[in-house]
Amino acid sequence: MNVLKEWIFTTDHKRVGILYLIGSLAAFAVAGIVAMLIRIEHTTIGPTITNNPHDYNVWLYFHGAAMILGFQIPVLTGYFANYCVPLMIGAKDVAFPRLNALSVWLFYAGIVLALATFVMPDPPDVLWTGYPPYSTITSGNTAFYTFTVLLIGFASILGGVNFLTTIAFMRAPGITWNKLNVFVWSIFAAFVLQLIFVPVLGSAVTLITFDKYLGTTFFDPTKGGDVLTYQNLFWFYSHPAVYVIFLPFIGIVYEILATFAKNRVFNYKMVVYGGFGGIVLLTGEVWVHHLYVSGMADWIRVGQMVTTLLISVPVGLVVIGLVGTLYKGAITFQTPMLYALGTLFLFLIGGLTGIPLAVASLTIHLSDTYYVVGHFHYVMAVAGTFAIFGGIYYYFPKMTGRMYNETVGKLGFWITFIGTNVVFWTMMDIGVKGMPRRYFDYAHFPQFEFAHQIMTVGALFIGLGFALAIFNWIHGALKGEKAPDNPWGSKSLEWTTATPPPSGNWKEIPKVAEDWHPYAYGNR
Amino acid sequence: MSDHASIQQEHPQHWETSIWPLIMAVGILVALPLGFTFKFAYNQPLAAVLCLGVGVPLIIAAVAGWVNEAITGGEGLSAPAMGWFILAEAMIFVSFFASYWYMRLTAPDWPPGGTPELPVVLPLVMTTALVASSLTFHAGEVMLGRGDRGRFVAWLVVTMLLGSAFIGMSLYEWAHLFGQGFNFETNAYSTVFYTITGFHGAHVAVGLGIFLAMLVPALSRRTNDGFVRTAGVYWHFVDIVWLFVVSQVYYW
Ligand code: HEM
Ligand SMILES: [Cu+2]
Repeated sequence: MNVLKEWIFTTDHKRVGILYLIGSLAAFAVAGIVAMLIRIEHTTIGPTITNNPHDYNVWLYFHGAAMILGFQIPVLTGYFANYCVPLMIGAKDVAFPRLNALSVWLFYAGIVLALATFVMPDPPDVLWTGYPPYSTITSGNTAFYTFTVLLIGFASILGGVNFLTTIAFMRAPGITWNKLNVFVWSIFAAFVLQLIFVPVLGSAVTLITFDKYLGTTFFDPTKGGDVLTYQNLFWFYSHPAVYVIFLPFIGIVYEILATFAKNRVFNYKMVVYGGFGGIVLLTGEVWVHHLYVSGMADWIRVGQMVTTLLISVPVGLVVIGLVGTLYKGAITFQTPMLYALGTLFLFLIGGLTGIPLAVASLTIHLSDTYYVVGHFHYVMAVAGTFAIFGGIYYYFPKMTGRMYNETVGKLGFWITFIGTNVVFWTMMDIGVKGMPRRYFDYAHFPQFEFAHQIMTVGALFIGLGFALAIFNWIHGALKGEKAPDNPWGSKSLEWTTATPPPSGNWKEIPKVAEDWHPYAYGNR
Repeated sequence: MSDHASIQQEHPQHWETSIWPLIMAVGILVALPLGFTFKFAYNQPLAAVLCLGVGVPLIIAAVAGWVNEAITGGEGLSAPAMGWFILAEAMIFVSFFASYWYMRLTAPDWPPGGTPELPVVLPLVMTTALVASSLTFHAGEVMLGRGDRGRFVAWLVVTMLLGSAFIGMSLYEWAHLFGQGFNFETNAYSTVFYTITGFHGAHVAVGLGIFLAMLVPALSRRTNDGFVRTAGVYWHFVDIVWLFVVSQVYYW
């Protein structure tokens, strides 16, 4: 009883982090099952498991919204940030522990609303984008969509306030800005983005609910409104959102690569200031590339093409840093490392296939096809998820005090990795050939039926691989061997605590040596 | 390091807890999303009132309990944190204003048909009240700095009265305009007018709530300098935003 109380009323950053982990993995599991439904529905032309196209819209809504807002953003900026940032900067907790607990419970409130989708008579059916005019006239419950976004968004804003203050003011003596872990920097950058851009998303989704239920006319052209206002506000957040996901997941990959290559981070300052800094500066200037086919003046298209392509410069710096960190490293291939390398591979494919989408003349053909779906799953959805799974494996011993099973871990990785490429490569392929996205029934495109069947099989592989990983964690947490304090031999500060870290993390605030550095493997 | 771990296991450790964040989250969930949905999506006012009846007391209890816990501990970094929060808040107003400008600048004529004469004097009075309240709050802060709790409380009360007067005038104006048939649905101007002034008014209301949460413990001689400074930063921000609202929505 007491233990339960210490968990649900907790204000400790590690426990808040684990609560985030449980909630976001639950969202991932449900959204993953829904993805399987979507894939199975496409196994045959015409209805397969449901006759009702409306069900299909609801699934698409839930899959997208839950994966992005319920899984990736919370697991990265909630779980990983909470668990690792205070440990990495030598702090006893975050700046505002109670606020932190409020964040996690607001996040759960959002998850509850999202899950209501499966029990309510009129679930939202507006996809994750909620575009008007559909969202303001549908019989689905757009208000639940709005409030899900608002609750999780508000949680994230409070998290941003908390973590930016923590990182700025609570670093242990001697841990200067240039000695922060790359992951801490990535969280700093991601939360700056969240603070600037989430409010804009919040406004956008609030306005559709006002329009639908209170009768305002923001998006009603007959009364002086304009639907393009919504698209602009929405993508003004949602392009940066991909970097809110990208930054922390690449931060995790940096931690894993440095540890398993026993190597310094290559070009640290270039990665942090040039790469992350450049992304933060540029990412607010490119949202219009999501509106290429919504209609706009040509000069805007060209301008957006230039800024969009320009973003590849800081992203390139980040990738060069990753490859350089591997260079001449003493690499070992445990499960976390496999996932981290998998991320790098998937991100490269995703990034390169994004370039045609940035080019206005090409994207007019590719837009709204499966090509786009394949691209963003490579670049964000699965690349991010691989990094997340690698990160959970990486911190698993610290978090639970036990080891997972290495063989099962590797098996799960390979199964998912193969499934991923089968599914999303095929998607890009049929997309180029003309398969549109968001179709319930593809009767007009019978030539793609076989490809859809292959993808369904691949999707089942992905599901199996992820399920193995989750099974491995549960089993390891209960029955695994005892883990040492620093099983990977990392130099970073979070591994100097006891395992699992006690309340307050260290007896005293840790003191670091003059020449300490989180990546000081003796070969700087 | 491993002996460190074994020490930890011998002495069961104490984990920090607080019940109030969870209570507040539940209160917010019940009062806002569920209350709104029952009223406007399902047209069940009774259920909506029930949601408010459960949610709002939970929120109030959580604020009170939270303040009670925190006021002695003192979360000393709250003023810089408020700076970050204000960045986020400012972005909400920026997006509302951007939607407004976009609508206005693409409209064939402005104000669109159906817009009555807006009052000219009342907004000036409201502005005066709000600006004055920023000054009176500052005066209170100075008094607290000198250790004069009594005067601090007095200025705080004056500030709250000015803030309440502002909200009162705002509500009066809304009622007046509604009476003239100018409501949410009338046209693009009514849409932005009510959204922006309503959203700003909600901020004033939240500010008053914060002041109340400060006033109650101050009456029993408990104050927290960091808390007061943070609330002040927020209040000045709400004040400055009003200057944009009044100049863009009323006098342009
Ligand atoms: C590397 C350079 C990148 C380029 C050049 C690029 C370009 C684009 C463009 C132009 C679109 C719009 C396609 C259309 O509908 O016409 C798009 C869509 C998308 N991108 Fe990227 N992108 C890049 C990186 C990323 C990253 C890093 C992420 C996430 C971590 C991401 C996630 C997405 C998502 C989710 C969509 C789909 C939006 C929708 O629902 O329509 N992209 N990308
Ligand atoms: Cu974009």
